[in-house]
Amino acid sequence: MDYSNLRRQAASLKKGLFDQGHLDEQFRQVEDLQDEASPNFVEEVVVVFFKDSGRLISNLEQALEKYPRDFNRWDAYMQQLKGSCSSIGASRMKNECMSFRDNCGQRSVEGCMGSLQKLKREHAILRQKLESYFQVTLEAPPCQSWCHDRWIISINLLTDVCMFTMQLLRQVGPAGAATRPAM
Amino acid sequence: MELKAKGFTSIKALLVEDIEVCRLVLSTFLLRLHCEVTLAMNGKEAVDLFLEGKKFDIVLFDKDMPVMTGPEAIVKIRAMGETDVKMVGVSADDHAMEAFMSVGADLFVPKPMRMEALGPIIQEVINKKKNDMV
Repeated sequence: MDYSNLRRQAASLKKGLFDQGHLDEQFRQVEDLQDEASPNFVEEVVVVFFKDSGRLISNLEQALEKYPRDFNRWDAYMQQLKGSCSSIGASRMKNECMSFRDNCGQRSVEGCMGSLQKLKREHAILRQKLESYFQVTLEAPPCQSWCHDRWIISINLLTDVCMFTMQLLRQVGPAGAATRPAM
Repeated sequence: MELKAKGFTSIKALLVEDIEVCRLVLSTFLLRLHCEVTLAMNGKEAVDLFLEGKKFDIVLFDKDMPVMTGPEAIVKIRAMGETDVKMVGVSADDHAMEAFMSVGADLFVPKPMRMEALGPIIQEVINKKKNDMV
């Protein structure tokens, strides 16, 4: 398995997420919390985020239908979602949350609906991109275990070479002498 | 719910936050800073913990939560005579600072909370606790 290629692919996917503005510095803060004791922490946070955000978006959609023109209520729901997006660095989603809240302030139903559609689109895009990223990182283990595996392979190979050399030397005997096979 | 960083129990922190992902990230920050972390899902749960006699060195509140908001909880907890515990408001709401500081919070930190912001706050609580013990 070409782990180096997979690791390059993972790095490229992650870079794309930052370059395209889907994630910001806060995501790196979350990554810094991942360690050997919590090796899947980032993925766990992302899973919880999409569970939370899916629920919050659903609550908001119900509120849009059940409480027409109740901009204060709509704003309150979106405030929660904005906080959730901020905590993991979901930057483009957070911007759409702010756009929605601006439209609430302007009491624009059409504006709110438009912002919500954009938010849902960004939500889906981010989910798909992060799923791709984690799929690749699962296939490419962290450098520590990858390097450890390479060391083990190298040591085993070296051991095999040493044993072969020793067997060869036994057959060869003292320097320069060849051992005649038994007749 | 109590979470404990292995081997370190110097600062007792209460995190009051209704959104799960925010709770997960912020509680992990606190654990990394060697705090003993208790979680509450809203302001009322936080107040109930104090009514049960639980003691904390620092409490971090989200602003808008079901049942009871962060500022509402601060009012009630301060009214119990809990003037020493450090109360920190945390919110992504641009207008939250006034809401927290007007009811007696010691500090407001905008979301997202960063480790660089939280570290000095916890250190200050540690220093105060050491001074109080002397």
